[in-house]
Amino acid sequence: MTRFKLTISVLTRIGLLLFLAACAQMGTLPSLPASHPEALAIGQQVNCAECHEDQQKGTLKPYKAFNHSPVFVKSHRFYAASDDRLCSTCHKSSFCNDCHTNKVQIKPSTKFGNRPDREMQHRGNFMTMHKIEGKLDPASCYRCHGRANNERCIQCHH
Amino acid sequence: MKKTCCKLLCSAVLLSVPLPALAAEISVDASTLFGIGQRDVSGGKKESLLPATQFLGLDVDRLADGNLSLHTYGWGRADLADKSYNGKNEDGSLTYGYLQYRFKQANANIRAGRTFIHEGIVNEQLDGLSVRTDLPAGFGVSAFGGAVVHGKNLSGENSDGKGASLFGGRASYRYGSMLELGISGLYEAKAPTLNSYTHGSHRLTGIDLWLAPHKMVSLSGQSSYNPETKSVAEHSYLLTVTPLQQLIVSAEFNEYHSQNYFNSSALFTSKHMLTYNPSERSRSIGSSVSYQLTKELELVADYKHYSRQLGGADRYGAETRFTLTRPAYQSDSIRYGVGYHYLHAGQEFASAPYTTASYHELRGYLMHDTKGYFAALDALGFFFKGRKSAWEGTVSLGYHFTPALALSGDISYGKNPEFSDESKGLLRLTYNTTFAQNGVKK
Repeated sequence: MTRFKLTISVLTRIGLLLFLAACAQMGTLPSLPASHPEALAIGQQVNCAECHEDQQKGTLKPYKAFNHSPVFVKSHRFYAASDDRLCSTCHKSSFCNDCHTNKVQIKPSTKFGNRPDREMQHRGNFMTMHKIEGKLDPASCYRCHGRANNERCIQCHH
Repeated sequence: MKKTCCKLLCSAVLLSVPLPALAAEISVDASTLFGIGQRDVSGGKKESLLPATQFLGLDVDRLADGNLSLHTYGWGRADLADKSYNGKNEDGSLTYGYLQYRFKQANANIRAGRTFIHEGIVNEQLDGLSVRTDLPAGFGVSAFGGAVVHGKNLSGENSDGKGASLFGGRASYRYGSMLELGISGLYEAKAPTLNSYTHGSHRLTGIDLWLAPHKMVSLSGQSSYNPETKSVAEHSYLLTVTPLQQLIVSAEFNEYHSQNYFNSSALFTSKHMLTYNPSERSRSIGSSVSYQLTKELELVADYKHYSRQLGGADRYGAETRFTLTRPAYQSDSIRYGVGYHYLHAGQEFASAPYTTASYHELRGYLMHDTKGYFAALDALGFFFKGRKSAWEGTVSLGYHFTPALALSGDISYGKNPEFSDESKGLLRLTYNTTFAQNGVKK
């Protein structure tokens, strides 16, 4: 038991030393700017690699990974989960919260009825469609409505 | 509503404090929506709906030494006629409201207040503190903790089923342009015991991965493990191959273990979710091909197969999108899109008394945006076999009084199995402006 405690103690001290050494070097690591230096066209498919070299220091992936292709837009959760500091150089948090929020007052596709080009869930009469889509893939419902944003769900499912 | 208004008002008051905020950059997003509609309640009277909703966002950057910023967003609603929703005449919500300090190095930041957390497998909203930083040699760490943001109480309960507090974090490592590996977890305080629901506490741990062994190939995804049920909750992975700059081929795989994935949701594990089966392992696999014909025109074809214990289903289709923007005038654009999808699903996915859940989905939209007026047409239809179809069309017309101020209105009409017909109107006043030097965030 004493040996175990000694090992833990040594490992903790080594970890602490490594952490302090890492902190001492943090001053040399660059930060992204708070916002993109130039305005970008609204609704245009963004391809960062058009202007940026495909190389990135620190913990960011190469810029070409963020090309806003149709696949990227549909699977953006994987990128938002690890690179939201890059997302936030061009997008305000409210851009994400147009759809992802704790309490939705109005269906996003209705709020932005003047922007049918934006990818938004539950277009049309989803009251009809959810009876099929909910059985087909309940996990896709859960991500938004499992633990939040389910005031409408519990009106019937209670 | 009062609570939300107070919070928004406090944020506004903070802005007026004469701190060294003279160089502050202020950005305001405001949308005022007036809905117009009628509702026929079965066996009841006809209700007139006139909800007025105000969405308001405020961002103040470059406070104090230039690295401090304030971000708030929320909404409030008042019904000018009958109650439109959730039995209240008024309602509101503070979506987020936090102070952020960004360090000049290492992408380090601290956030305090109500914020959303997206870190690996973690997707949460909390009232508390979050910190993150890059570390040398490709490492990065983040941590968060605070009070859970609660929603509406479940029917017949005094709680929404969530615990009181939450904390967690993520550690990551990136190797060159090839690999990023993250490990993340969250721990929510014990879930309250409810009268009619049996759910577990919200605790998860997992990994997220990005692997690009070749410049044309990348694999993204995540797996999570539920320590409460002591089993895997989710695997979600996406493989992307880009043989040409214009051509992207992708394949996805998703697997969910119901009891472990839904464990912390009182709603999804309840008997009222008729198809919930704790022992079920559901899967979906899919593929898509997108080709950018020109800078303006792209084509996408996709396929997805769903597999559940109650049966299987397939969805496939294609769509095209066209976007023409004159670079000199960001608001001068023409956009259109058309798409078709078919879902092949049997009786097991249909609601009684229908014998099939298959349907054809057709959608088309057209937009024209100029410095002055802007207009949009949108039509969407779901066509079933042997039952009434559901379709809806929307016309939107608006005018930019200034680049920041616009007024627009939508009228939509549709028919569906739920209502004989449905017509809605919406009037929208938007004010989005920034007093910043840099690029405007969307």
